[in-house]
Parts: sequence; structure tokens; C-alpha cells
Amino acid sequence: MGKIIFFFSLFCIVGHAQDVNKEDKQQLQKECLQCHIEQQIPSALIYRRYLMKYSTFERMEKAIFAYIKNPDKKHSIMPPQFFLKFPMKELSTLDEDALQKMIKSYLNTFDVKKKLVLPQ
Amino acid sequence: MSSEQSSLVRFLLIYLGSTFILFSLASWIFYVSSKHHLLDKQREILKYQSENVTSKLRMLHKNFDGTLVYPGSKTFNSAIYDLDKRYIFGTFKQIPVLEHTDHYSDEKRLYHVTKLEPYYLGAAYLLTAKEIDKSPITALQAKIIWFMLAAGVFFTTLGYFLGRLFTAPMRDSIEQMNYFIQDTTHELNTPISTILTNIELLETYGKYGKSEELQRIEIASKTLSRIYEDLTYLNLNHDYHRDVESVDITQLIEERMVYFSTMLQSRGITTRLEILPEKMLEIDPNDAVRLIDNLLSNAIKYNKAKGTLTVKLTEKSLRIIDTGIGIAQKDLNDISKRFKRVNKSEGGFGIGLDIVNQVVNSYGFVLHITSEMNKGTEVEVRWEK
Repeated sequence: MGKIIFFFSLFCIVGHAQDVNKEDKQQLQKECLQCHIEQQIPSALIYRRYLMKYSTFERMEKAIFAYIKNPDKKHSIMPPQFFLKFPMKELSTLDEDALQKMIKSYLNTFDVKKKLVLPQ
Repeated sequence: MSSEQSSLVRFLLIYLGSTFILFSLASWIFYVSSKHHLLDKQREILKYQSENVTSKLRMLHKNFDGTLVYPGSKTFNSAIYDLDKRYIFGTFKQIPVLEHTDHYSDEKRLYHVTKLEPYYLGAAYLLTAKEIDKSPITALQAKIIWFMLAAGVFFTTLGYFLGRLFTAPMRDSIEQMNYFIQDTTHELNTPISTILTNIELLETYGKYGKSEELQRIEIASKTLSRIYEDLTYLNLNHDYHRDVESVDITQLIEERMVYFSTMLQSRGITTRLEILPEKMLEIDPNDAVRLIDNLLSNAIKYNKAKGTLTVKLTEKSLRIIDTGIGIAQKDLNDISKRFKRVNKSEGGFGIGLDIVNQVVNSYGFVLHITSEMNKGTEVEVRWEK
């Protein structure tokens, strides 16, 4: 009986987490990536530049948050030439919690750990 | 063991011991230094492999395909860590903890840590590790062992010849002394025999009676005769054939006491005999005479004038006790060595107790000497161990 309750609870938690994850991804798509795609802004490339400079999830999260709260060419991770081709980001209308959530979702979406595999 | 042999052994022990310590120390230093050098070579290879992985990580960072194939290798393991030293990815079966130093090792593996800047794929540290190739270290150990063995053989041979060279003067002196004794004894035999025969003739035919002068000549001749016997025994000891038979020790002691009676009377020594009657012993008669004569001779020679000589024969031992000058405790251990003379006030070659010792050892007897300075000496020969 105990085992049944345990596996049922685990199933519910995993199911709920997947729902939340899916929901976050949808929100990220809607709030961020949709615009990136329309303007052909290379999201993966931006992620890699943050990764190359800050290394850890926490440091990247902090840096992205700081930039979105105060978007400026001087503080951008991208080189000045980037803004010749792509428009400057407008100030976000999202509240801080939502913004934090979106940044986490963005970092998880492009996380290289998930893409790395061992050679055959 | 002769003094020459013991000197040679002592020299060899000191020489080889110090050479061994010196060579062991030098070999150890050489081994540690060479092992370091061999491991450094392997570390250099690992460092080169790390640079290859770094280069591949840089290329991988620019790859935006679906999956990123980590640049692993079959010859070594590697892993990448972020700026907070958290594991990102790698080929290790068990994730190793990142140390703070550039390179380190355990019993099986060498590790190398490369700091990366910029952080391709978020990697701030690259850890590479490979199994230590122990074959060159084993070969080095074998070389050192062979070298030590060869050096051991060489220095033992050299030490032996050096030792022989250094002890040659001592050996020559002993040989010369032995030759001298051998020649002297040979030349002494005929005149001593002639003197003793003629004294007996004089006593038998009573031309001069038992005069004091004749007694002195007899004592001196018997002393010479005994020295001759002892020296001959020492020289021929190795080839000496023993005819072991049942000897009546009681009777023999009484005979030898008569033999020494002239010497005892001349020194005014009182004798006390506590002798077990008809005590039989399995021994060569000549050895028995030599044993008793030397003990009695010493007890008379080193006794005080008008002292006492006690002879006690029991089932288990023979004890000869004098009231003489005694032997110092420090000399008791060496007293039975050949040519050892603790007291030089009396004549002699210092061979008496050496002969006693040889006879005692030949039959498995036990010699026990106790002495007190200016009080006397007790020599005990136990028949059984």
C-alpha cells in the first residue's frame, strides 16, 4: 500500500513539474522568443556568449537580469556591430518575478549540458 | 675464530656496512629523482592532451547543431567544471573532486587541471587524468637492484682483498712466531730428554743422592719438557689423532701430583686432595695429562709462596683451587685465548689455558673459572654439559 502511495505521489509530482515546465516554455515563447524569431535575433548565440563570459547558471541569470532591467549597448554582451543589424531591446514590461522566471526558462532551454553526449 | 679472522670480519662488516648505507642512500636519491622525471614526462603528455581537448571545446562552443559530441578519448579521461568547480560533463565513471593544484596524483592515476578562459561551454576548468604507466618505473627498480647486487659483489671482493692486505703484517707475525716455536721445540727435544734421563740415572745409582741442586735441575727440566709437550700439541693439533679410552683420572691425578711434588716442595705449597676413588673418564690419556698438568702448573706458578693447592675430584667435575694472585674480572673472558698472559711476573707463553680450552672443547666439557684478586682462583672442569 505504501509503495502504491509513493509511486502515485511521484507520478503526480513529475506530471505537475512537466506541466509547469511546459507552461514556462510556452510563456517564454510568447514573452521572449516570439519577438526574437520575428526579428531574427540568434537566441542560442546570445546564450553562448553569456555562457562563455559567466560560466555558471547563477552568474548568467544575474547578468541577463541586469541587462534586461537596463538595456544599453554599453552593457550588452553582444558586440557594437550586432546593433547595426538588430534593433536595441526595449525595456521589459514584465514584473521582476516573471522576468526571473523567464530568464531561468531561457537558460534551461539552451542549456549545453543537455546537448552534450559522449562519443560512440 | 683467530684474531686475524675476527679482524678481517670486523673490517669487512664496517667497510661493507658503510658502503651499503652510502650506496642505498645514493640509489634512493637516484630512484626518487628518476621516478619524478618519468612521471614528469607522462605529465607533459597529459598536458599536451589537455591542450587538444581545450582546442576541441573551443570548436564545440561554436557548434549549434542539436547534439554536442564531447571530445573524449580512449587513452585518458577528462571532465569540465564551471567557475564554481561544479561538474558539467566528462568521461569519468566516477566524478572526481577537483583539487586546487595544477597537477596531482594518486597510486594509479596522474591528474592535470587546466584553467580555461574564456569559458567555452561554460567550462572554467578542464580536468584530465590517465593511468600511470608503471613499466618504466618497474624497469628502473630492476636496474637499481641489479646495480646494488653487482656493487655488493664487487665491493665484497674488493673488501676481502683489502682486508687480507691490511691483516698481512699480523698474519706474517703469527706465522713467524709459529715457525719459531716449531723450530725451537724441535731443537729442544733432544737436550731435554738427555737431561731428564741423566737425572734419573744419577738418582738411580745414587751418586749424588737427592741434593738440592739436582732437584732444581729436575724442576727446570720438567718445566722445559712440559713446555715442549704443550708447544708440540698446539702445532700438531689439527693432525692430532686421539685414542679415546677409559682413563683412571684418580690415579692420573695422583701420578701428576708426584710429578709436580718437587715444584710444590720448592715453593712450600701445601696440597689438599679431595679425590673420588677410581673415577673413570673416556678420554685420550695424553689429553688427560695435558689438561691436568696445565691446570696444576698454573695453580703452582701463580700461587703464593707457602700457599695452598686444593684438588677436588667428584663424579661431575674436577676443581683446582689455589690461593694465589687471582685474575681481574675484566680479564676472565679472554684468559683462555692463546698467548694471553694477564700476569707477566711469571714466565710462560700464555698457552696453558688455551690448551685446557681446546681439550675441554674437544670432549664437550665445560670450563668455568672464578677468581678474586689476591685471594685465589678456582678452575672447574665439568665432565658433562
